[in-house]
Amino acid sequence: MESLHGLGTATDWIVMLAYFFSIMLFGSYFAKYNRSTNDFFFGGRRFAWWLITVSIVATGVGSHSFVKYSAKGFEYGLSSTMTYMNDWFFMPFFLFGWLPIVVYTKIRSIPEYFERRFSPTVRFIATIFQLLYMIGYLGIGLLTLGKVFTPLLPQAFDIIGMHIPVTLMGVIVVIAIITGIYTTFGGQTAVIFTDLLQGGILLVTGVLIFITGVSYVGGFDTFWHLLPVEWRLPLADFNKPPDFNFVGIFWQDGVAGSVGFLFMNMGLLMRFMSAKSVDEGRKAAIFNVLFMLPISALVVGSAGWIGKALLEMNNSPLNPNVNSDEVFIAVTHIIASEGVFGFVLAALTATLLSTVDSLINAIAAVYINDVHRPIKKLIKRRLASEEKEAKKELSAARWASIFFTVIGIIATIPFNNYPTVYEAHGYFHSTLTPPLVTAIFLGVFWKRFTTAGVLTTFLGGSSLMIIGARYPDILITPFAHGTPMDPVHPYTYISALYNTVVCVGVGVLVTYLQPVFVGLSERIKKYKKHKNLMSALIIFIVFFLFLIWFDASTLGVLLSVTILMIIFTSISAVYYLKYDPETHLEGLTVWSVKKAKEMFKGSKVNEKEGERVYVKWRLRSDDEDFINLSKEDMKKMSAEVGDMVYLCDARKYLGGLKSVHSRIGEPHNETGLVFICREHKLSALFLEDKMLYAEKEM
Amino acid sequence: MPPFSHTWLPFIYLYGFGGLFFSLGLYIIYKSKSINLKRKAHRRWLKILVFGFAYFMIIHAILIIAALYW
Repeated sequence: MESLHGLGTATDWIVMLAYFFSIMLFGSYFAKYNRSTNDFFFGGRRFAWWLITVSIVATGVGSHSFVKYSAKGFEYGLSSTMTYMNDWFFMPFFLFGWLPIVVYTKIRSIPEYFERRFSPTVRFIATIFQLLYMIGYLGIGLLTLGKVFTPLLPQAFDIIGMHIPVTLMGVIVVIAIITGIYTTFGGQTAVIFTDLLQGGILLVTGVLIFITGVSYVGGFDTFWHLLPVEWRLPLADFNKPPDFNFVGIFWQDGVAGSVGFLFMNMGLLMRFMSAKSVDEGRKAAIFNVLFMLPISALVVGSAGWIGKALLEMNNSPLNPNVNSDEVFIAVTHIIASEGVFGFVLAALTATLLSTVDSLINAIAAVYINDVHRPIKKLIKRRLASEEKEAKKELSAARWASIFFTVIGIIATIPFNNYPTVYEAHGYFHSTLTPPLVTAIFLGVFWKRFTTAGVLTTFLGGSSLMIIGARYPDILITPFAHGTPMDPVHPYTYISALYNTVVCVGVGVLVTYLQPVFVGLSERIKKYKKHKNLMSALIIFIVFFLFLIWFDASTLGVLLSVTILMIIFTSISAVYYLKYDPETHLEGLTVWSVKKAKEMFKGSKVNEKEGERVYVKWRLRSDDEDFINLSKEDMKKMSAEVGDMVYLCDARKYLGGLKSVHSRIGEPHNETGLVFICREHKLSALFLEDKMLYAEKEM
Repeated sequence: MPPFSHTWLPFIYLYGFGGLFFSLGLYIIYKSKSINLKRKAHRRWLKILVFGFAYFMIIHAILIIAALYW
């Protein structure tokens, strides 16, 4: 394999720098739309579906990157598209289960859901898993960025007599600073609007690469027949080779990855939370999976397919020893002219930056919701006025963005030890996703799932996963569907099946055995020294965890210890944690979505279908959060006093940027006019002469 | 001609297991009344969901046939 260096010309770099600078200014401009942490993280729940869709494309594609899929497209052909074409199976669960729950319960992070569904202890453990997952993801994103840019740069820069060598870490730090700036100051609104720009550039460029490449090799027919038959197939071979096989990728990506992406990717969920309504979020999700993902599959993989076709040509312009991870850059360098290559690099940067900026924003959201606020609550600090608190939190959110960007840079160090980013990402996905995904999934769709069940899913499930990773030939082989085991990286993908089975198995078994643990807990309570006994059990749990983490014994002992730990954890959960089905289930599972909707509104939901009305606005002098519409307009909307309403600038291309949610107050008689308060005007930045439309939300 | 393990077996496995997950999802949202088929909008969503499943299955089938015979 040969590495590339110094491919970017001066023109290319001018295009790149201009792009960076413009995106920074563009993102920072949207800081004025942040009036609170709600605006900073969730864009004030105001955007149209199409804006969310493009934003999701930019984020989703960035995380899987041109680099990885072009490499797999080059090595294995059209089966590189598998990842983008297997997300539909879980759409019913997402659209009518998780999405309405996330929106209507107004949860601000996944750990917060765990507190409301189970207990603060579960939230604490979920926060650790969630932060580890997100920081790791950020580290992988930054590492990918560094790996993309380093080959484009010269070995060193000589500026004003100074010799500055170009290193991977140096490149990562510079890019992280640039991304950090506009995310830190612009928040979610900045992320969404920069994503709109970046997503557009990404799609156009990707399609252009495909068309230019096909044309370069002599047209589509030639391109198609240059590819060997195996390269044309859309699905990989069932169970071989170990580094790319269908069954492993189905369980790792199609099941664990899809559920993980839809259910626990905070960056994605924040996109849906910033949609103006649940229905608008559904439209965005459907459009994204049905149309944007197949296009994205072509966009990210086609350079690899073109590369393979180039190799099959007589007098191939492509070096046959090219490193797979660099095939995207090598191919675009061959087929694109100077300047255009710079534009392509800008698109590549766009995808990667989109992922990184979303992650920074999402990690900061988890920090504020699950670390900052609970700590404040714990130390019972006297709260300042609501406005001052909001400002303080906004400032803390910005500092958190900076802090986690730095942690993300540090996280790139261990990931750099993996042979490729693809493997680092695959391993990461199949190990950290299953416990959290299982816990969310069972929590949302299974009413019986208990606190003991979720705690043992986290602790017992992850312990069995660790043991499985140590003894893959014994524990994972039965799940491997005949996939050969690579001794260096055993079962990179199919281990996701084992991991999911053990997590689900532990959670389900413990939940079904709940009456047994309740009985044991009751018997323990009858002992005089039951508190001491329970403390001893907790010490044993910690001791067992250490034994498992540090692989301190044989397989048999470790498995026995895990079973004991699961039993002790279950008894402790029943003993210590109160679980009231009414509090912990109402509006928090798919079985009570209607209740969640009522809780969201605070009263009975008005389901009558009405029209959208167009109105001019006038300002009231007070700050009460309601708007006044005319009786006639309210009739058209089928709305009543107290109903939730969405008020938006009528210019569609703004995608809801200038909009606000409120409630309907007492009506007046001036048809076509709405009265709003000062806060509405400040939040939505409505313009004096522009028409608005009002829509009844519920 | 590539072996069955590289052509139709992955397809059958994908839509067999995928279909199981998909059907379970439809069953749960129907039983929980999260999707209310008395509402016109929800009936439309159900049609879109079923269409999406068929849409991906047809795309994959066409691509396999194209790879083998075109």
